[in-house]
This record gives sequence, C-alpha cells and structure tokens, in this order.
Amino acid sequence: MTVTALPGAAGRSRRATLRRNFWRGVWRVLRRKPSRMAGVAICALFAVMGVAGPLLYPAHLPRDDDALYAPPSLSHPFGTDFEGTDVLALVVTGSRYVLLTGLATAVITVALGTAVGLFAGFRRGWQDTLLMRLTDLNLAIPGLPLLLVLSTVWKFESPLEMGLVLGLLGWGGIARAVRSQTLSLRERGFIEAARGLGLPTTHIIGRELLPSMAPYIAMNMLIAVTGAVYAQVGLFFLGVLPFEANNWGVMLNLAVFSGGALTTPAALPYLLAPLLAILLLTLGIVLVVDAMDEIFNPRLREE
Amino acid sequence: MTRATANRAGALARRVAGHVARGLVMIWLVATISFVIIREIPGDPVLAMYESMLQKGMSPDQAERATAVLYGFLPKGSLWEQYTGYMGSLLHFDLGRSLSTPGVEVTSLIGSAASWTVLPVLAGTLLSFLLGVTMGVYAAVRRSGRLGDLLALSGSLLHGVPVYVIGLLLTAIFATLWPILPSGGPVDVEFTPGLNAGYLGSLVRHAVLPVVTYTLASYGGWILAMKSNVVTVLGDDFILAAELRGLRRGIVFRYLARNAILPLFTILALSIGMLFGGSIFIEEIFNYPGLGLLLVNSISSRDYALMGGTFLVITIGIVVANIVADLLYSVIDPRVRSGGTA
Amino acid sequence: MERHLTAPGVRIRGLTVVYNTPSGELPAVSGVDLTLAPGTITGVVGESGSGKSTLALSMLNAVQPPGRISAGSVEIDGLGDVVRLRGEELRRTRGRKVGYVFQAAQNSLNPLKTIGAQLLDLGRSHDVGDLRALVRDARELLGRMGMDGARVLDSRQHELSGGMRQRVGIMFALVLDARVVVLDEPTTALDMITQATILRIIREVHDERALTTLVITHDVGAVAEVADDLAVMYGGRVVEHGPVAEVLGAPEHPYTRGLIRAIPRLSGDLGLARALPGRPPTLGTLPAAGCVFRERCESSLDLCRTAEPVPAARAGRTVACHLPGPHAVPVKRKEYA
Repeated sequence: MTVTALPGAAGRSRRATLRRNFWRGVWRVLRRKPSRMAGVAICALFAVMGVAGPLLYPAHLPRDDDALYAPPSLSHPFGTDFEGTDVLALVVTGSRYVLLTGLATAVITVALGTAVGLFAGFRRGWQDTLLMRLTDLNLAIPGLPLLLVLSTVWKFESPLEMGLVLGLLGWGGIARAVRSQTLSLRERGFIEAARGLGLPTTHIIGRELLPSMAPYIAMNMLIAVTGAVYAQVGLFFLGVLPFEANNWGVMLNLAVFSGGALTTPAALPYLLAPLLAILLLTLGIVLVVDAMDEIFNPRLREE
Repeated sequence: MTRATANRAGALARRVAGHVARGLVMIWLVATISFVIIREIPGDPVLAMYESMLQKGMSPDQAERATAVLYGFLPKGSLWEQYTGYMGSLLHFDLGRSLSTPGVEVTSLIGSAASWTVLPVLAGTLLSFLLGVTMGVYAAVRRSGRLGDLLALSGSLLHGVPVYVIGLLLTAIFATLWPILPSGGPVDVEFTPGLNAGYLGSLVRHAVLPVVTYTLASYGGWILAMKSNVVTVLGDDFILAAELRGLRRGIVFRYLARNAILPLFTILALSIGMLFGGSIFIEEIFNYPGLGLLLVNSISSRDYALMGGTFLVITIGIVVANIVADLLYSVIDPRVRSGGTA
Repeated sequence: MERHLTAPGVRIRGLTVVYNTPSGELPAVSGVDLTLAPGTITGVVGESGSGKSTLALSMLNAVQPPGRISAGSVEIDGLGDVVRLRGEELRRTRGRKVGYVFQAAQNSLNPLKTIGAQLLDLGRSHDVGDLRALVRDARELLGRMGMDGARVLDSRQHELSGGMRQRVGIMFALVLDARVVVLDEPTTALDMITQATILRIIREVHDERALTTLVITHDVGAVAEVADDLAVMYGGRVVEHGPVAEVLGAPEHPYTRGLIRAIPRLSGDLGLARALPGRPPTLGTLPAAGCVFRERCESSLDLCRTAEPVPAARAGRTVACHLPGPHAVPVKRKEYA
C-alpha cells in the first residue's frame, strides 16, 4: 500500500479532536437518560461476572443436603437447588459458558456477515447475485429446528464450537444490511471518488467504508450476542444437548423438567434466577443499543 | 389498459414463481440435510435397524424392505442410491414410519400435530399484530411523552427476550404462584372430545397461555416496527400536504396508518417463521402436542424418520407463509402490483 | 362556477414565529410586516434559513412544532385573522380558502391512492356536494396545464414525473377555488424547461382566476419572471419589499444587491457572479442586537451594531437599512428589462 501523505500532523490532531468530540457526545447521550447509564453498568457487570465470577467459587460448588430448595435468605439470595447448592453461585459460574458462546457467535456472525456484505456490494454483478441468494437462504432457514436436528450428530462440546454453529446460521441479516450500506455509499459516489483519487481497494474498504459502517456493525454485534445467548440457553433448556458443564440453560432444564418448578412454588427461585439473569442481560444490551443508536444516528434524535 | 393489467399479472406471476423456486431450493436443502444427518448419526440407525430385523429372523430381502419403509431409503447400497431413494419417496409424500409410535406413518403423526401448532401460531400472530400496530401508532404519536417512551421500551424488551423466558414466566405466575390456568397439555382428559361446552372450554383454557406467549413474543417486534414506520411517515411531506389541504383528521389518519402498516407485511413472513421456531419452546413448556414438541420428542426418542419429516414440514410451513405474506403484500401495495420497484 | 372578480388582499402584521430549541425559544420570523395587494403575485426570496418557508406556513397557521406563532396577525380579506383560527374552522380554511403548493421535489401525494381518490377525499373533507363537478373541474384544470386529466386522475404518484406531480399539486390547491395561493419553492428540482412551463402556468392561472399569490423561492430568476412584487428576507426579517422591477433593477438594501450579484448568468461573464461573503445565519447565530445583516454587510456603520433598522418607505418601496440610498453602484438593469 502506498503511503498517503495527506494526513500529516495536522490530520492527526484533527482526528484527535474528533475523537474527543465523539466521547463528549457519548457522555452527553448517556447523561440525558439515566437508564442508559444503567444499561452500560449492567453490561459491565455481566462482563466482570463472566471473566472473574467463576474464580470466586471453588471448582465444585458445595452442596448442603439439609437445605434442598431452601428459600431465599441472606446466605442464599436466590435459595438453593435440588442438591442444596447456592443458586446465585450457579448463575455466576454458569455465566462464563453462556457469555463466551455469545461472544464467539457475535464475532463470527459479524465477521462473516460484513465480509459477505462488503464483497457483494463492492463487486456487484453475478457474485453479488449468488451471495444474496445464499443470504436469502441463510435468512429463511429455520434455525432452531436445524440446530435441534444437528444436535443429534454434533454435541457442541465447547462454547467456541457452539459459537461457530450459531454464527454460521446467523450471518444473513448483517450481510444484507452491510451490502445495502455499501451500495448506498457507492451511489453517493463515495467509492468512485476514492478510486478517482487513486486509493487502493484495501484502503477504500478499510479506511473509508468500514469506519462509516462500524457503528452499525457494533450494534449488530451486541444484538448477535443476545441472540446467541438465547439460542444456546434454549438448546440446553430443551435438553437435547448433554450437560457438560453448568450453565443457565441446564439450570432452566433441571428446574422445569426435574425440579417441577412449574408445579411447586418451592423450586421457583431456582427457575427464576437464570430467567432474571437473561432478562437483565437483555435489558442492559437493549439500553446500550438504544444509546448507540442515538450517538451514531443523530437523525433519530427526538427533540 | 388491458395490456397494463396483463403486465401486472405477469409481474406478479414472476414474483410468485421466484418465491416458489427459492422455496423449493430451501425444501430440497433441508431434505438433504435430514438425509445426511440420518446417515451420519453415530451407529447408523438405518443399518442397525436392518441388522436387528435380520436377528429377528427376517430374510435379508424382507429386512431391507421393512427398513426402507421405516426410513424411506434402503439400508445398503451406494450413497447415491440411498439419496435418490429418499428423495423419490419424499416426492410421493412418503416420510416413512415412526419408531416411537410403532407402525404409524410419519405423515399422519405430523398431520395431527400440525393443527396444534398452526392454529395457536395464527391466533398469536393476529393478536400480536393488532395489538402491536395499535400500540405502535400510539407510541409514535406520543413519542416524547412518558407513556410512549415506556411502550417503546416494553417493545424493545419483549422483542429482545427469548420466547421461553416469556413462557416460563407466564407459567410461573399464572399456573404456579396464582394457579388460575392449567400449566400444560392441550385439554383436560375428563371431557369427551366433540362439540360440547366442557371440551371446548377446556380447550380454550389450555390454549390461553400458549397463545398469550406467542402474542407477547412477537408483539415487541410489531410495536417497534410500527412505531418507526409511523414516525417516518409522519415526517413525509404528503401527510403535512394533506393537512394543509384541510383533509379531515380521520382521512389523514387513514393515509398515515395505511402507509405505515404496508411495509409490515414483509415482516409478517419473518414473524410467522419465528413463531414456528418458537413453537418448539412453547410446546415444550406447555406440553402442547404440536410440531415443535413432536420434533423434540423424536430427537430424544431417536425416532429419526419422524425427526426428518417434522423438520421438513416445519420448513415447508415457513416457505408457504413466506409466499402468502409476499402475495398479500403485492396485492396491497400498488407500487409492487404494477411491477415498479419504488 | 361563480367567479369573484376581486381578489382578496392579505396583510401580515408583526408576525413573529419562534422555534423551541435546546437553547431556548429562537425567532425564525421576527415582526414581519408584509402586504400582498389583491390580485398580485408576490415573490419572497432569501437564502435557506431566512424564514421564508416559515412565513409561507404561517399563511395557513400551519407552523409545525417545535415552532409556533408567538405574535402578530395574518389578515385575509373575507377570512379575518388566520392566526386566530382553530380546529374545524382552521381546517376548512386550509385548501378551501387558502391553497398551498409544496416543493416539486417533495412528495405531496399519498403514494398508495390514485390522484382521483385523493381528490374525492379532498371534496368530502370540504363537504363538496357535487363530487362529479369537482372531478370535472379537476380534469379541466389538469387539461389547462397540458395534461390528460382523466389519465392523471387514474394514476398514482409513482406513475407521474416531477413536473406532472407539481401540476397536480397546483390543481389540488386551486380546485376548490381558493383565492389565496401559497407556492413553496414551486420550481426547485425541476429541469429548466419544466420550470419555465410551471412558471407560465402559475402566471396564467393567477390572472385567469383573480388570485392573490405568494411564491416562496430562493431562485431570483424565477421570481423575476413571475412576480409583480418582491420581498427579500434575511434572518427572519423582510429587508426590502417593492415592485419586482424596481427591487431587482435598483436594489436599495446591501443584501439584495449581494443576492443579485451572486446569480450566475447563462450569458455573460461568469466572473461577474460573486457569492455573498460569510454564511447565511441560522437560528442560533443571529446577532442579538443591531442589524441582523451587519456581519456580512460590505458597508456597515457603527449605528448598525446597536440599533436595528426599521423598515421605511424609500424610492417606491420599503427598506430596512441605516445606509442612506440611493447607492453609488447600481447593478446593470439590462438582464431584467
């Protein structure tokens, strides 16, 4: 790649100012609605929980045979499960698997979707047609039934494997959106102008196209995290996957189908704790996406 | 004029043909996936079945035929022979026989399960559409107010929350903590099926929670989509123009509503597809004997012919819903009807 | 149909429109006085942000939130003060008494309904008894503008070109026999030939129907062709108002002069076209005291910084400027002869 001499020291300092303004804008948007701060806090909480949470507890959680399905108390804020294990500890230690899968899925979804969308929109012609047909198929395929059927031959042992499958099933939406973004940038003469200046393709894509789509991609990534969390918790909940490790889906399954949480109120806390965790994570991500939406699409700002 | 009509009909036919072609590709793909999976399942159930038949004292020929009836393809032979055999029997709507309910044809099992899925899904779709669209208009008109904000947030949350969370919470509240509704099953056993009040009442009581779950699961999507559409259309100049021409409020509102609802018909297809997927969780939670439960049960009882068949039928359901939604859309939107791509 | 031979006059007095912004209420139109003589076409020119579109909407008491008319009146003969109209009364005035034509580039038609169906909606909204006669009038008007009326009524917006849509818009403004017509940027985004046609139609229909017309535009050339009077707006004020030939021929206000100098001519030296220095003001950047134009003015005085010039009669027109006229460098007249 030829070095473009254009952005010299002046350009760099201008970029720094832009960045400062950006963060100031972020701060303003967050401050305008306190709920958004809460969203950021919730997301941060889950991140910490996933990274450091399992370290807080011993590898094998203690059981207490005297306190099966104990009601919520100070020592067990969400009660205990059928073996007398603290439910909160189960939620915290189970979060790593869940969040890791979500992250892996999001990365694969976004990388694949962006690549396909950019390529299709950039090249157009038959490659575009072919890729969009594939995208249509990917969008229309009944994902959950397919996952169930796949579970008969594939046990998804690690979070990464799970993420790979979920990612392969879910890239269609982003691909289509990125393609239409690319096309619209193209229509506005963006790409032609860059070509006219003699900029290489990698530069056009890496420096011009991607940055203008980055916010959109970032939002989709967050949404993909939630989608992946739901899908895999759901699979474990249905009980079609072997229970390798503790996670929220396993908890739901045991609570509903073994613990009888739907018939005996005593087992309810065991059921509600992972549900609350999912709800809280959703809430956090919804609020953050809402804030991002406003930061990056000033058009949507309501007066 | 006649030529224009003919052109419109032609454009519509092309659209439908495109959808049908894509749908067929999808169905073929899903059938192939089923085939590959059934073949690839550890322990090769088809061959295992064939061998157990042999052990039961059947002749190789008999055993081969019996296995073929069960799975829709021969236990031995080249990959290609097995594949064409499987596809050939699919073309005759032969999905093989169930193992877990011995001897019963997969098609008849699916047939009786289908109505338990389709009716609640349609009821849920319709309810959530009506509810979401109305609330969406309200949330858009009052978007700077507190209630509008709250409605939009509730939409985002419900849209974001997975369907099984909704289902489990509803059960926990209305069947466990405050038991006013049955927690599962399609109907109480003490009633004799038929057109009697007891049976129908029980049917409805059992359908309430599943249908409400379907409704809440897709309501969030509708309210969000409708809100953003109404906001967009409100900013369109023709609404202001209509007001400046002194049109009655009712007429302006109709302009607004019709233009805002229209794009939702493309989402309708996705929504129905999503509900078909969601039916797996809902039917599992409420022990409701539809296609989703059939699929899960077929997997846990290793009934692979039933699994493949159910998977295929769910796919066909989604494909058909897609085509119907698109047809509906082209009938309603004049721009599509006349072949334009505006 | 009954034709009034006298067109209504319009008197705008002390009109102030404010917009609610995060930094408080800011005026988009400040104390504007403007009289539209009966039966004339008055052009309003100004850069974007000069308040001309807000002024146009005020004629129908239709300023959109977050804006509102905070003071002043718009008196129309036979109607009274439009600013005071509310609810049903206001709705019946719009369309029936005051017609409004949108920018050509904007879409002022419901994309899902045929023009004919929208015409019937209009008729029903205004309790027109004889809808068939309404359709006949519409067809005739469309025919008058060079279109196949029956076919247009059977079409939807996406089947019409920009110029056709614009003529349909004019039809909607006139078909109920409104006597005051407001046209907002009627020729923007149209090609030159269509522009000329639309302007000719505006002039013809105006004369024929004895209308009082207000044309909002940023295109001084278009105004020169069609208007009788010209009002120049800057920063929410009318800075010069008078007969179009006089105002364009011998502009008194330095802003008018700048505006005319900025027009590139089709013939002649391109170098003569000079853009106005500085940027057009926005709501927030208007000077708080003194003349709003002083920062871009080539010959501002000390007085301009402290006192806002009051519009005063001068050389057959109204001018709001402290500078004594006439000025030494008049612009050559021949282009507007």
